[in-house]
Amino acid sequence: TVWWNQSSALVLCMDVGFSMSNSAPGEEPPFELAKKVIQKFVQRQVFAETKDEMALVLFGTDSTKNPLEQDGQYQNITVHRNLMIPDFELLEEIANQIHPESQQADWLDALVVCMDLLKKQTEGKKYDRLVIVLLTDLCTQASPDELDIIIDNLKTAGITLQFFLPFPAGDDEEGGGDGDRGGSGHPGAGKGLSREQEQGLDMVKHVMLSLDEEDGLDEIYSFRNALEQLCMFKRIERRPTAWPCQLTIGSSLSIRIVGYKAVMDERLKKTWITVDAQTNKRDDVKRETVYCLDDDNETEVQKEDIIQGFRYGSDIVPFSKVDQDQMKYKHDGKCFAVLGFTKQSNIHRHQFIGNQVIKVFAPKDDEHAGVALSALIRALDELNMVAIVRYAYDRRCNPQVGAAFPCIKQHYECLMYIQLPFMEDLSHFTFPSLENKKFVPTEAQLSAVDSLIDSMMLVEKDESGEQKDMLKVHHIPNPAFQRHFQCLHHRAVNPGTPLPPMEPWLKAALERPEVISERCQAPLEEVKRKFPLTAVEKKKQLKTSAQIFGKDTGEPDAKKAKGDEEEEDYNLADIAEGSVTSVRSTAAVIVFIFFCLVVVTPVSFPVCQQLTHRIEQLLSNKNTHYYMKSITCIQAFREQSVKLGKADLYNSYLQSLKRSIPNRGLEVFWDLLVQGMISLFAQGFRIFPPPFSSLEMTCNFYAISAKEEVAAPTTEDTGDVDDLVCDLYFYLTALFWS
Amino acid sequence: MAEWNAYYRNEDDEEEQEEGEQSGEYKVTGRDSLVFLVDASKEMFIKEEDGKPSNFDMTMQVVRSVYTSKITSSYRDLVALVFYGTEQSKNPRNSFKHVYVYHDLDEPGAKRVQEVDELRGSKGAQLAAKTMGSGETSLGDALWCCANLYSDIKLRLSHKRLMIFTCRDDPHEGDSVKDRQGRTKASDLRDTGVIINLMHLMKPGGFDVSLYFRDIITPPEDESDLGLQLEPCAKLEDLQNRVRAKEKKKRVLNRLNLCLGEGINVAVGVYSTAVPARKPPPIKLYRETNEPVRSKTRVFHTQTGSLLLPSELKKAQVYGKKQIVMETDEVDSIKKFEDPGMFLIGFKPMEKLKLHHHVRPAVFLYPEEDDVKGSSCLFSALLKRCSERNMFALCRFTARRNYSPRFVALVPQEEESDEGKGQITPAGFNVIYLPFADDIRTLDAPQLPCASQEQVDKMKQIVTKLRFKYRSDAFENPAIQQHFRNLEALALDMVAPEDIEDLIMPKVDQIDTRLGPLVQEFKDLVYPANYNPETKPAAKRKTADNGGGAEKKPKVELPEDELRAHVQNSTLGKLTVPVLKDACKKFGVRTTGTKKQELIDALIAQLSS
Repeated sequence: TVWWNQSSALVLCMDVGFSMSNSAPGEEPPFELAKKVIQKFVQRQVFAETKDEMALVLFGTDSTKNPLEQDGQYQNITVHRNLMIPDFELLEEIANQIHPESQQADWLDALVVCMDLLKKQTEGKKYDRLVIVLLTDLCTQASPDELDIIIDNLKTAGITLQFFLPFPAGDDEEGGGDGDRGGSGHPGAGKGLSREQEQGLDMVKHVMLSLDEEDGLDEIYSFRNALEQLCMFKRIERRPTAWPCQLTIGSSLSIRIVGYKAVMDERLKKTWITVDAQTNKRDDVKRETVYCLDDDNETEVQKEDIIQGFRYGSDIVPFSKVDQDQMKYKHDGKCFAVLGFTKQSNIHRHQFIGNQVIKVFAPKDDEHAGVALSALIRALDELNMVAIVRYAYDRRCNPQVGAAFPCIKQHYECLMYIQLPFMEDLSHFTFPSLENKKFVPTEAQLSAVDSLIDSMMLVEKDESGEQKDMLKVHHIPNPAFQRHFQCLHHRAVNPGTPLPPMEPWLKAALERPEVISERCQAPLEEVKRKFPLTAVEKKKQLKTSAQIFGKDTGEPDAKKAKGDEEEEDYNLADIAEGSVTSVRSTAAVIVFIFFCLVVVTPVSFPVCQQLTHRIEQLLSNKNTHYYMKSITCIQAFREQSVKLGKADLYNSYLQSLKRSIPNRGLEVFWDLLVQGMISLFAQGFRIFPPPFSSLEMTCNFYAISAKEEVAAPTTEDTGDVDDLVCDLYFYLTALFWS
Repeated sequence: MAEWNAYYRNEDDEEEQEEGEQSGEYKVTGRDSLVFLVDASKEMFIKEEDGKPSNFDMTMQVVRSVYTSKITSSYRDLVALVFYGTEQSKNPRNSFKHVYVYHDLDEPGAKRVQEVDELRGSKGAQLAAKTMGSGETSLGDALWCCANLYSDIKLRLSHKRLMIFTCRDDPHEGDSVKDRQGRTKASDLRDTGVIINLMHLMKPGGFDVSLYFRDIITPPEDESDLGLQLEPCAKLEDLQNRVRAKEKKKRVLNRLNLCLGEGINVAVGVYSTAVPARKPPPIKLYRETNEPVRSKTRVFHTQTGSLLLPSELKKAQVYGKKQIVMETDEVDSIKKFEDPGMFLIGFKPMEKLKLHHHVRPAVFLYPEEDDVKGSSCLFSALLKRCSERNMFALCRFTARRNYSPRFVALVPQEEESDEGKGQITPAGFNVIYLPFADDIRTLDAPQLPCASQEQVDKMKQIVTKLRFKYRSDAFENPAIQQHFRNLEALALDMVAPEDIEDLIMPKVDQIDTRLGPLVQEFKDLVYPANYNPETKPAAKRKTADNGGGAEKKPKVELPEDELRAHVQNSTLGKLTVPVLKDACKKFGVRTTGTKKQELIDALIAQLSS
C-alpha cells in the first residue's frame, strides 16, 4: 500500500462538476475535501523533491481542453497541466484556479484522457510506475460500453489506478494504509448512495478487481481516510543504492553480496543559503575569508603563502597536502572481509558506532551466492554468533571494523552490518557505585516504581492474546522535518505572514499516549510521595564563605538561606568575617605558612613567594570556592604585611595580579576581591593603617559612616577592571552622597 | 553511488565539512592536567624472574601510551613526569632534593615521547641509573615540587590529577617527620583541587595501602572504599586499564532533568562513552615562518562592497523552483520544540528494542545528586526494576537548545566489577537513539533459495574454527594511527614513519591454515563446478535500456535545448553529477560546491534568468 516510492508518472484526475459541491448541511462538500487531498499530495511531492512527474486533469469543467476532443466527444474535460515535476506553481494553481464548475462529465471519458496523456507523454522515457488517481463522487452516469477495452488497455500499459471517493467503498474501511493511528468514524459512510453512484461504484470495483484480483479494492480510498494518512508529508525520498561486493573468509572463500543502507540517521538534504535582506538575492552577498598573522598588526597573509600543518601534541608539523596524500593510510579498496567470528554476547549494543545499518543480501540473480550466504546466516543464527568484518566502502574511504549479525525474517534472510568502535573511540569512565547505603531504595519505594512501570506499559496483550505496541516510534515521522516543511510551505504560499504554530497532530504524536497519561496519574503521585526530590538551586551558592572557611558548624542554615541570588552576589559580611577568622582559621594552609614562618621571622621574599604561589594555585581553579580561598590568602597577606610594616611586596603583587586579570579571565574573582575589601571598610575593620595609601584612608573614613547600607556594588563592565582603590573610592563617595 | 559517498567523510574534504552536531562536543572550560609521580627507588627496578618487565619499565610503558593517546585524542592536556627517591635532583628552583622533574607540565610532543622511550627496557634502566640514580625518599618534597608545577602554570586548568606509581607501601621507612610532611603536602594539594591517585605496583609480601598511602590519596568518590580494596597491579594490561580509566576526566556532555511526570524531575548527567575519533583538522600556517594564521571572514555586499551586518542578511531555501526566505531568528525558532530534557513516555519489554534500530552512537546516563537531591535513589530504583523486569524506558529526548526531539530507549546496565580489580561497567542507563520513520528505508529483499542443513552445518564448522573473543578495544584505527606516525616521523626528522600494524586486516594465512579443507568442502556443497564468485556476473546491470539517453552516458554532451527543457520541467535532478558539471562548464556557470543540489541550483539560476 505504499503509493509510489519509486520514480513514477502520475495523473491526478479530479471531478470538479456541479454535484461535487453538494453536501449535507454542516459537512464539507466533496469538492473541498478532494481539493485538500490533492493539495496534500502535491505538497508531499514538492518537498520530497522526488523525480516523480505529475499531471492534472479536471473534468466537469465548463470549457473543454484535451487532445481527444473531437466531434463532441470527451467534452468538459480539461488537461490543466501536463506531466512535469510538481512545484509551488502547481500548488498555487490548485489553491487559486480550481473552483467548482457547473458541468458534469463521464468519469470513464476522463480516465481515457488520462491514459492517453500518460501514453503520449511518457513515450521514450522510463518510469517505474504509471498511476492515475481519480477523485470523483461518481454522480455522473458513465457508459460501460467500452469498459472492457479500457481495462485491457490499462493492463497492457501497466497503469495502476487509485480511486478516492467521498464515501467508503466497502463494509470495512480499514483497507488503506496500516491503520495505525486514526481511521475511525467515517461520516457519510451510512448515507444512501444514489443509483448512479451505486452503478458507478460497481464499475469502479469491477475495474479494480480486473486489474488486481487480490488487493484491487485496497486502492479505493475515501477522502477523509486519505486526508488522515496524508497529513504527514511524504518521507524524504532516499532510494537505496546497491553496493555490490564480495564477502570473503580467508583467501579462497568468497560470496557475492549486495549491501543496502537499511537504517540511516537522515538529515535534511538542503542547507540554508544566505541572501541579502533587501533584495533577497544570494548573489548580492559575498563572503570572503582573509588570513592574518597572530601579531599586533594582524598582518594579512596571501592565500598562496599558506601551507597546511598538523598538530602533534605541542608541535605543529608542516605537512603539505601532497605529502599527506602520499603518506596516508592506503588500502585495497572495497571489501567485506571476515576477521573472525564471536559470540553475540561479546558485542555490546551501546558500543555500536556510526549512524547506519547495512543489510547484506546475495545478488538477486545469483542463487548460488544466495545459498552460500544463507548457509552463513543460518550457521551464525544457530550458533548465536556474529561475524567481525573489515568493511571499506571504497578506496577513498577509510576501512571500519563492524559486526555482521544474522537476520532471518519470514520472507528473506540477510546479514546486518553495524560499525563497532576502534580503541581510539572509547572512553572508559568509572562511576561511583549506586549500591550506596544512601541511595539504595526501600521495598516501598521499589514497589512504587513497579506500579509506575505497570501503569506505563506501552506493550500489552489484547483480548486475542496478541501483543500490541501502543507507540511504535519508528512509525512517527521526524518532527524536525515536518515542522521545517510546514513552515517552508506556509512561507512559500503566504509570504509576509508570521510562521504558523506547530500542527496539533505533530504535537500529539510526540506525547505519551492518552491512555497511559490517564493510567499513570495515581502511580506518579505515589512515586512523588515516596521519593523526595529537592532541586539544589545552584549548588555553588550554598558555599558561603562561612562554609568555605570552615565556620559553618554553629549556625547552619542562616547563611544558606541568604545565598539565593546569583553566585557572584556573595554575602559581603561573610567575606569580611571570613577574613577575620582566616587569621586564626584552621582550614587554609596559608595560616600554616604565615604563623609558622611569617609571624616568627620578618616577611622574607621566599615566604611571600610561597604564598603567592599558593594564591596562583588556587586561582588556577576557576571556581568561586577557590576564589574565596585566594581572597582569604590575599587578605591575610595584606594584614600580615601591614603588621610587619612591609607593604611593598603586597602592593607589587597586587599590581601584577591586577594586570593579569583580563588575560586569565579572572574578572569574577576580581569583583569578589573588590567587594570583600569594601565590606572590610564598611565594617570598620582597622586593618588599613597609614602606610598604604591616602585614598584608602579616605575610604576608610567614609566607610564608617556608610556602615548600615552595605550592598554589593554592581560592576557593570567586568572587561575593564578599574583600579581597586579607585573603585572603592567611587563606590564609597557615592554612598556618602546618597 | 554518489549517495553513499555523501555519508563517508572524504578525508580531504574534512575541513570543509561543517561541524557535525554529533554528540561528542564538549564545552571547553580549561585544560586537563596530569602529573605522573614515579618512584625511582631501587625496588622499582627489580626484574621479575620470569622475564616480566620491572615495575619501572611497566610504568614507563604506561606513561608513553598516555602521552601518545593524549597527542591523538586531547593534545591540549598538560602532562608532567616527575621522579622521586632519586639521587640527583632537578626541579625549577632546585629547592627540593631527590626530586627529578623529567618533564614539567606541558602539552606532550614528539620529543617527550622519545625521551620516555629512552627510559624503557634494560637500556632505560641504565639511563635512569646514570641520570637520576636512586636515593633518599621524601614524598613531602616530591608533592611540594608537584604543587609548584601546578602553580607555575598560568593557564586555566579544569582538571588536575596526580598519579603516584610506587611499589613501596612505607616510603619513609618509619620516619615520622617525613611521613607527616608528606601527609601535609598531600592535603595541601588536595585542597587546591588536585586529585591524587595511587597506582600501586607488585611488591613481595603485598602492598598495604592502609600503612601510609590511605592518608595521601584523594578518597574515592563513593564511600565504599573502592580505591583501597584494589589489588596491586601485576600486569601491564591491568595497569594500563587502571590508568586509562582514571586518566580522563569524566566529562558530562550536559546535565538535564529526566522528567517522569509533573514535578518529578530526576537530575541526570549525559556522558558519551563511544565517539568516533577523527583525524584532527589541519592548521593553516604561514609559509615563511610556519606560524599559524588566523582566518577572518567578512560578509559584504557584492555591488556596494559595504560590510553586511547579520541584520542585513536573511536565510533562504529553494524548493520546486521557488526561493523561500526567512529571518535568521525564524530559522532558529523552527528548530526549537522544547527546552532540553528527557521526558518519560512509558516502558517496553527489552525484546521490543530491535537490533537494527540504530542511528547514532549511544550515550550514558548517571544521576546527578548535586543538582536534585534524591535523584540517585529514584534513578537507582528505576534502574533496578527495569533491569530485573527486563524492560527499557522509552523517552523523548531534547539534547540541547534548538535541537529537535528524538525518541530514545533507556536500557538498564548494572554495575560489573572484576574481582576487586576495578569497575568493568558502571551502573546506569545506556541511551539508545531510536529511528524515526524517515530513517528507515524500504528495501526489496531478493527472493533466493535457502541453504540446506548440510550446507549450514558445514558453515558452522568454518565459523567454529574461526572463533575468537571480541574485545571492543582490540582494534586501532589504522588511518588515524598512520596519520600520527607520519607526523611523528616528520616532527622527529625520522627517515620513514614507523610501520603500523593494520589490526583490522584479516589474517588470511592463519585463516586458511585453520580452515584447511573445509573451504573446498563448503564450496563443493554450495557452488556448481563452473561457478566463480570472483568474476562479475555476465550480464552487467543495465539501468536504462535506451530512453534515458544522455543521462547514462556522461561523455555525450547534453544539448542545450534538452538542458533548458530539464530546467523548465525541474527535472535536472535526473541528470548525473558529471553531466551537471559538464553543463555548468559549458554555460559558464560559476560553481563553488560539488554537491548535486548546488550544481542544480547554480544551473537553474543561470538558465532561468
